[in-house]
Amino acid sequence: MTPAELLGNPDLFRFDELSKFVGLFTGLFFLLVVIYSIGYMRGRRKLGKYYLYTLLTLIASLGAIFANNMILFLSFWGFLGLLLYQLITFGRTERTGSTAKKAFVIIGGTDALMLLGIVILWRLSGESQTGALFSLRMDALSVDLGSRASVVAYVCLAAGALAKAGAMPFHTWVPDTAEDAPIPVTAYLPASLDKLLGIYFLARISLGLFEMTGAMNTVLMAVGSFTIVAAVMMALIQHDMKRLLGYHAVSQVGYMVLGIGTGNPIGIAGGIFHMLNHAIYKSCLFLSGGAVAKRAGTSDLSKLGGYARVMPVTFITFLVASLSISGVPPFNGFASKWLVYQGVIETGRSGGYIWILWLVAAMFGSILTLASFMKLIHAIFLGQSSERTAKSEGRGETGASMWIPTVILSILCVVFGVFAISIPLKHFVYPSVPGEVAPVGIWSSGVVTLLLIAGVILGFVIYLLGALLKSRTTGSFIGGETLEEHEDMRVSGVEFYDTVRDNGLLRGIYRAAERKLFDIYDLGAGFAGGLGRMLGLLHDGVLSRYVSWFLLGTLVLIWYLMR
Amino acid sequence: MIYLLYLLVYGFLATAALGLFLSWVDRKVTARVQYRVGPPLLQPLYDVVKLMGKENLIPAGASRLAFVSAPLIGFSSVVVVSALLWSNNLNPSQSFMGDWIVVIYLLTIPSISIIMGGFASKNPLASLGASREMKLLIAYELPFILAALVPVINSGGSLRLGEILTWQAEAGATATNLSGIIALLVMIPTIQAKLALVPFDIPEAETEIVEGPMVEYSGTGLALFKLMKNMLLFVIPFFATILFLDGITFQGIHILWGALKIVVLVALVTVIRNTNPRVRIDQALRFFWGPVTLLAVAAVVLAYLGL
Repeated sequence: MTPAELLGNPDLFRFDELSKFVGLFTGLFFLLVVIYSIGYMRGRRKLGKYYLYTLLTLIASLGAIFANNMILFLSFWGFLGLLLYQLITFGRTERTGSTAKKAFVIIGGTDALMLLGIVILWRLSGESQTGALFSLRMDALSVDLGSRASVVAYVCLAAGALAKAGAMPFHTWVPDTAEDAPIPVTAYLPASLDKLLGIYFLARISLGLFEMTGAMNTVLMAVGSFTIVAAVMMALIQHDMKRLLGYHAVSQVGYMVLGIGTGNPIGIAGGIFHMLNHAIYKSCLFLSGGAVAKRAGTSDLSKLGGYARVMPVTFITFLVASLSISGVPPFNGFASKWLVYQGVIETGRSGGYIWILWLVAAMFGSILTLASFMKLIHAIFLGQSSERTAKSEGRGETGASMWIPTVILSILCVVFGVFAISIPLKHFVYPSVPGEVAPVGIWSSGVVTLLLIAGVILGFVIYLLGALLKSRTTGSFIGGETLEEHEDMRVSGVEFYDTVRDNGLLRGIYRAAERKLFDIYDLGAGFAGGLGRMLGLLHDGVLSRYVSWFLLGTLVLIWYLMR
Repeated sequence: MIYLLYLLVYGFLATAALGLFLSWVDRKVTARVQYRVGPPLLQPLYDVVKLMGKENLIPAGASRLAFVSAPLIGFSSVVVVSALLWSNNLNPSQSFMGDWIVVIYLLTIPSISIIMGGFASKNPLASLGASREMKLLIAYELPFILAALVPVINSGGSLRLGEILTWQAEAGATATNLSGIIALLVMIPTIQAKLALVPFDIPEAETEIVEGPMVEYSGTGLALFKLMKNMLLFVIPFFATILFLDGITFQGIHILWGALKIVVLVALVTVIRNTNPRVRIDQALRFFWGPVTLLAVAAVVLAYLGL
């Protein structure tokens, strides 16, 4: 077969609106990350392998996105897990190895669950021949979630999608990866491609492969809301820039899962749009933050500060992306959250009260997101300078290959927000959502943006009427003290939310989380380790004990056979 | 063009005039509580104009861009949100620009601008104050969202402010229901905190961190921030009036009735601020996430039950 015939074969591949638009943006992120890597990875070893793995990741992702055959899809998907492992090992921290293993175990484990789900699907489809397993087509399936087996199949497949996207309870590899992998890898996989793939597959199974029931939708919405609030609460108290951003990469998945869980066209459109927006602003945040980390040589927030003067372009791109992720109008994050909220309110029309809980959790999570980004902006770009800032002063921005991608991404944040309805929603999102999307609220993003600009001009006129030109630079006023002489008067911003952490019930929850009591990987490792130790006790090397175990076993066997 | 007209006439001129007037009400009531005479009617305006004539001081080594643009962004967002509220109140049948979600999100921008301005000041006092502003925002936002949800639930899930107003015109104001009364009760401390008034003036705390985020602002920048705060003194009670008290009807005697609603809300806020001491930030956090949120949840449950 020629390649064209191979791609055109509907048994293997499928090109519809959803997969085409996800594929398009996968390519865009690949391009930007490669441009960024030229600057960031310069001078490291084994770069040939690095770029090879990056390219293979692109190919495998495109394969998974366009695959129509379930087994073909799972092959590409599993290959992606391996590539993620390989790419994380390019990190240079002490824990890189164990982090890569953790990510691989969580992703690989859920891949095994997905295989189980596919086998159950094959049994449910009524075909008994083994050959039919290998020709299971996604677009031909439509399973009713009535039977217990179909629920198990859905949960297995959804676990794979959620682990890839990093939703709770499979999220723990994301913050660790963010901290230990090189920044371009984090921006490429957990921040953008893995989100696109995970939510793409969740949308595929929830909208096509299965006919969702109200109960299953409620489960999805609960997972989404819980992920939003719990992950952002963890983000509030982090003191490493990359880890903090990693927790946000988890929290934002909640909005996408919540949107898809609403089950109505408007919420699904919101979830898919949020997936796209998230990939844009989160990779922008990682790449901008990475530029500062590269310049400063650290991502520890207590050692940064005052970088807005050193790197003004990076400051602006980071600020735009922060406002987008916090859902400040008119940036793109607001547009998609607005759709998700309406989807949640729509579910309330059929009765029930639980939608109020989801809505409040999502809106409150958005304010907490804003809070943790204000902390980041203070600790990195504003506030008082640290010793490192003084060293970086005068060296300016990092190379063009590192700031050009962030500028492109932040422009996308603005354009997809201001022209939300006329560009991304109309061309990418609405066509890929089944059913008519009819928003119940109003959001004239263009008009409001225009008015905001007019308001700024108005304020500027007031500035000009006053004595703006009569401006003078003076030292800061701190009750007559001199700031530079007292290093201990520096407020870095790391400790901003300690008041929240030490408050009432939250203190206990935070302590438990810091001891990793909620980490599925550590829990699993503890369980497996305990089991191993118990079995290990049996092997004590005493021959008489081995013989008695052998006799006991034989007796049980005889009893079982003679019964 | 009609939007620009709304922006200039209602969003800016009317709101600024009313905000300055309400600020005078606030200061006059405060003075009377303290057995003083109080300022003349135009004093708030004089203050702003006087500040505009003063020179601007920019702290050395601060991010000029963020420091100078923060007041502009905050001011602009207040003008836009007030234009949005006016247009929806004047024309409930035609909803313009944005809905309930948009207003709640736009109302956080003034706080963001104060925080950014404080952060950009390169001053530990400003950083502390701004971080308190942020913590206060996360504290009161939870009961604020819950309370603001009550009219949405009552009117059967309509998000457009116009529909909420029309529904109130038919079924009576939200605050005539038990759930509405409780939600309005919850709104009052959150308004207090949104305006950073005593007992929740923790971000500014003059005696302790000398106006917090504002410490480095002077001249026109400070004038814009003052004007913005005065306008918020009108905009936030106006939003509460639309949600709970049937808005303002612009016909004959109803205008007076509408004005009375807002003046009473502001006077209430003023009395509270004059009879209470400042609380600490952790106390405020516990207060808003504890009793106030419980009360707001009660209001939401009652609203769901149709009471």
